[in-house]
Amino acid sequence: MSKNPISASLSMLNRFSGSPLVHRLGLFKPAQAVAHTAVREGFKAGAAVARQFKAVQKLVRPERFAQTTRASDLFDLNVSEEQQMIRDMAQRFAREVIRPAAIKADAACAAPEGFDAQLSELGLAQLAVPETLGGTATEASVVTGVLVAEDLAYGDLGLALAALAPIGVANALVRWGSADQQARYLPAFTETTPPKASVAITEPRPLFDPNEMRTRATIDGDGFLLKGEKSLVPLAENADFLLVAASLVGKGPRMFIVERDTPGMKLVADPALGARAASLGRVVFDDVRLPSHAILGEGVDVCDFGELVDLSRIALCALSVGTAQAVLDYTITYCNDRQAFGEPISHRQAVAFMIANIGIEVESMRLLTWRAAARAQQGLPFHREAYLARVLCAEKGMEIGTNGVQLLGGHGFIKDHPVERWYRDLMAVSVMEGGLLL
Amino acid sequence: MKILVPVKRVCDPDNANKVKVSADGATVTSDGLEWKPNPFDEYAVEAALRLNENAPKNEKLGETLVCSLGPAEVAQTLRQALAMGADRGILIDATDGQLDTTVVARALKALVDKEKPDLVLMGKQTVDGDSNAVGQTLAEMLGWPMATFAMTVSTNDGGKTLTVGREVDTGVLTLKVTLPAVVTVDLRIVAPAGIKNGATPADHKYNEGARYASLKGIMQAKKKAIDQLKLSELGIDTATSSAYPKFELPPARTGNCVFVETVDDLLGKLRTQAKAI
Repeated sequence: MSKNPISASLSMLNRFSGSPLVHRLGLFKPAQAVAHTAVREGFKAGAAVARQFKAVQKLVRPERFAQTTRASDLFDLNVSEEQQMIRDMAQRFAREVIRPAAIKADAACAAPEGFDAQLSELGLAQLAVPETLGGTATEASVVTGVLVAEDLAYGDLGLALAALAPIGVANALVRWGSADQQARYLPAFTETTPPKASVAITEPRPLFDPNEMRTRATIDGDGFLLKGEKSLVPLAENADFLLVAASLVGKGPRMFIVERDTPGMKLVADPALGARAASLGRVVFDDVRLPSHAILGEGVDVCDFGELVDLSRIALCALSVGTAQAVLDYTITYCNDRQAFGEPISHRQAVAFMIANIGIEVESMRLLTWRAAARAQQGLPFHREAYLARVLCAEKGMEIGTNGVQLLGGHGFIKDHPVERWYRDLMAVSVMEGGLLL
Repeated sequence: MKILVPVKRVCDPDNANKVKVSADGATVTSDGLEWKPNPFDEYAVEAALRLNENAPKNEKLGETLVCSLGPAEVAQTLRQALAMGADRGILIDATDGQLDTTVVARALKALVDKEKPDLVLMGKQTVDGDSNAVGQTLAEMLGWPMATFAMTVSTNDGGKTLTVGREVDTGVLTLKVTLPAVVTVDLRIVAPAGIKNGATPADHKYNEGARYASLKGIMQAKKKAIDQLKLSELGIDTATSSAYPKFELPPARTGNCVFVETVDDLLGKLRTQAKAI
């Protein structure tokens, strides 16, 4: 320790961070992704027996979080000490585990072996599940959810989506689920191997609008009959259960809980251009018969579909902010290092101004997303804010992805640099609906 | 075993290039820097937690205390260690100007006298000051056995002694120390099999590196105590024994290289051009 906390021994700092020892020791080396086939085989074996959900305890009434109240509607940009610690954890995980695994996960369309175990060490689902059901959450955590999504997507968007999709389902169950549904599904999320689940909204057709879904549910005796098709569903092939949006004839859009192995439901891997590590898939419902308790919520507590779509859009925005920030940081370093005509290419205004614009846009995307999340957290109307954030993040996200590739020139086009993956991921997240929610 | 782990916050080692020296060279400015726990201290926390647990059963075997000296914000650094699993924090309020290695060692000795830990486990050095002196000074002041640069630690004789593998230039030096003792750790201590405590099965493989603060740990950390003390309350001599007259940044590297054909050529250039010899 020195008289001043930071002595001038910069060389030692650099020596530590760049120490060949760190590399030689293999310290912090992430689990290696294994071949695609091995992962698939492993999943098949694991999925042979469908997960059984059973209520461990009986809930008298559903658990709901009280509204977070603030003295005013003023937008507070300071994160709490607790949120900062969660961010530190998420950022470290993104840096040490997610980013190094991203290339192989993108190629294999699956998270690497051991990823789930590493992820469960963080216990992210604790954020969603209330204390009575084994979690630690005492209030809705929309803002914290945005911060985590952003930080994980900084590592890789696909893996972040895979990590957070199940927590989205848990969030929906806490917000709208009936007492029975909460008691049946929520405790499993705090176990060592949480269930795989995600929110299925997107349908495979042009100009898809969540308010006009073709997936239909009809009342059939004391249950429902579900027919239709969903696409871009994270973790589809291995999902233990899905939260499926469908239009209930005569009533409007509703969410249905569909467990794996329900007769008539077919889960197929269907990799797309981007977010491939999230194991995107297609789900076909061919007259799937569902019990009456499969509809999310009960009585007056029926799910607010508009709010669900908005919360999901905020989550997708947070993912694109994280990846756009990754593009910004990467291009700054690259353009300062890359020499052309005897000087770094960042000395060219065409390059420097483009990076400056990315910086401005990322920050705008972030602020709109945080704003929407903050209002959602406080129980204020946030439809408009979520919509504005969505439009900006989709449009600018794709532009930033493109510019990231352009700034790297020829290097942007090849797979040696991550910008081409970010370009694809930013595009994927811009056309998706659902997948996860906060 | 009761273990005391001193932790220091340092400027983010990954952003070290943002460190600036004031115009008169009197101080290093820390404005706008992000603070992180000193990596070696983080490894010491991890090592202490491993020594004090039965990992597969998730059982705690002893108390792990963390302490730090600094302004009130240092509580954040302690809170991170508590989120990893440490039990209690102690914050000694002090400004950077009041501290040097001797004062820190004296303060830690006062804490040890008060808390009576079986082991003081600390990072071998901080990555900002790089003095590599506090552990050694503390052991001398306490009159305790000391092992520095530990890469492996195992307990024996029912927790009365430790076998410490020390990383030295020529290989690994194995020491046996009787508790209470001071041990400073190197980065290899967080290898999967660095710590053996007799309770966690010997074949248990830890992940490389310090553990993540889990969400549950972060929530629990809020409820753990951080005792507040003042440097002046410890009853120690607070006079510093070293001073920094001037700071300067290392000269910028040009990136130019000079090629040499022979050893004589090299020696000549080192003499005439680089003036290094």
